[in-house]
Amino acid sequence: MSIKLDFKKSSIVFAVALLSLNMVAKAGAVYDYIKSNNELMIATDANWAPYSYINDAGEMEGFDVDVAREIAKRMGVEARFITPSWDIITSGNWNMRWDVSVGSMTPTASRSEVLNFPAVYYYTPASFAVHVDSPVTTLAGLNGKNICTTTASTWEMYVQGNLDMLDAPAFTYKVTPGTITSLVDGATCLDDTRLGAGVRNDGIIDSVPMIQNAIENGYPIRFLGDPAFFEPLSVATDKGNDDPELDAEITRIIAEMKKDYTLTSLSMKWFKNADGSSNDYTVAF
Amino acid sequence: MFVDTVIEDKSLHKPAFLLGLSITVFAFFFAFNFTNTIFGEFLSPVIGSPQESGFFGRCVVSFVLTVLFVIILFAISFARMRVQILIVWIELFLLFLAFAFSFDLKFSFIQSRIGLMISKGLFTTIYISAVSIVIATAIALVGAIAKLSNNGFAYGIASFYTSLFRGLPLLLQVYLIYKGLPQLGFMVDAIPSGIAALSLCYGAYMTEIFRAGIQSIPKGQWEASRALGFKFSLILRKIILPQAIPIIVPPTGNQFIAMLKDSSLVSVLGIWELMYLAKTLGQRDFRHMEMLLTAAMIYWGLTIILEMIQARIERKYEHKT
Repeated sequence: MSIKLDFKKSSIVFAVALLSLNMVAKAGAVYDYIKSNNELMIATDANWAPYSYINDAGEMEGFDVDVAREIAKRMGVEARFITPSWDIITSGNWNMRWDVSVGSMTPTASRSEVLNFPAVYYYTPASFAVHVDSPVTTLAGLNGKNICTTTASTWEMYVQGNLDMLDAPAFTYKVTPGTITSLVDGATCLDDTRLGAGVRNDGIIDSVPMIQNAIENGYPIRFLGDPAFFEPLSVATDKGNDDPELDAEITRIIAEMKKDYTLTSLSMKWFKNADGSSNDYTVAF
Repeated sequence: MFVDTVIEDKSLHKPAFLLGLSITVFAFFFAFNFTNTIFGEFLSPVIGSPQESGFFGRCVVSFVLTVLFVIILFAISFARMRVQILIVWIELFLLFLAFAFSFDLKFSFIQSRIGLMISKGLFTTIYISAVSIVIATAIALVGAIAKLSNNGFAYGIASFYTSLFRGLPLLLQVYLIYKGLPQLGFMVDAIPSGIAALSLCYGAYMTEIFRAGIQSIPKGQWEASRALGFKFSLILRKIILPQAIPIIVPPTGNQFIAMLKDSSLVSVLGIWELMYLAKTLGQRDFRHMEMLLTAAMIYWGLTIILEMIQARIERKYEHKT
């Protein structure tokens, strides 16, 4: 009897020891790997100008890419980019294929179940836009209409009325669409709007810089009303490979980049208005 | 097809058929209304502004198009068959070009990106497909032998494998392998996962091709070899497979051509192959159609080349058998 009990006890002790050993081994594992490999693997989207895209030379470029390069530089390692599709990034379980996502991800309650959000690095306004010939002149005019947006995006959550952002500036739902057209490739929404008001959609919701970029490239669209909401955008790490040391390091670096205005100057570099003035999106309005 | 020795008049040269054809073609052009296209503008001296020409304009445009179509068809009917094929190809290609040009393409943009699309995108596409077809062939050979064996265990595995991988969409397999293997402790990157998905999927289809090829060799070959005292593996290697390969190779070539295009599915993993670059390169400047059409032409050109190679291989084996 006593032997049995002893056995049980020892096995529990052994299991606890093993578990704690495992946890000790795990803490800082990702960061140690980055350091020893001298390389920060960054997941980002290649289809999202001006945040991140492939330039003529076949290299990654954009606001997010610059921020990511700066983070790697301040960690003292090389930056390397990988471009899986958005839903693969947001679904978590990265298994150390890449270490961080610097891809303008909004922290939401559902995403935080699989991902950590160590640092918000800027805020983007999201806005509605319509074809220049559209009869709609106010946001209320879009009620009951067909709105096009990107699948699994915060804009889609906004028009659905279930946007659960964390640490976000307050906002209200200003539009209740009749139907929502969700496309995996959100840029296609703009192409659809170009065909005419009410042809494939009555309007779109997207980030302001994205729409601005389209207008500059000759798309016949215009902004409708004031920005609908401001979304915080954060660096993300994998909850499945939780590494508090890496998260702390990212939090520290982003705070530092805010303090010495590196983020501000990057924002001014990439986010320009039609009149040539620049936007500082590092503060929420 | 079977060539008849009974010579009949060409149906195009019969007035009744010609009339019926004209009416059908006219109805087609009328239904799809080409008034607001380049044809309407071309006829504007007759019908005035295409937008305001209404029913009259639509009739005139359809009539002119019908007459043109039937005259060309009639003219082609006098040519020899080779010339006919050539003319039809050229005309259809011109139509395709007209479709492409209707997008108001910017060629300087294509020119600045096409180098990257070929050096990076096309290279990756061919590399992934080539590696996958080699692995798929190896899988198919083993799978076919297992499926033909009377070992219940081997047959069970092989038939389960073909059933599963032929029963799932390739895109789903790509996701399953990429997201699923790490859960089992195998960390594989995007390119190996893509290659694994392509080879497993095509291996399943090709298992059936190989099996059919091996089965098409008459049973007498096996029996005669056995009677001469050969061992199983020797019969397979030296007698059955050499006869089966000419039957297997043509459909395998087809699989390779199909795989080249299906490899575009691995673009969801962020591999910079042709389809991925076609989708992303035009994004910043909102020049999507330019890149998509360029990729279309590259895929098409490559397929034509491969089909030629395939035809040569088929001819070579034709002489042998």
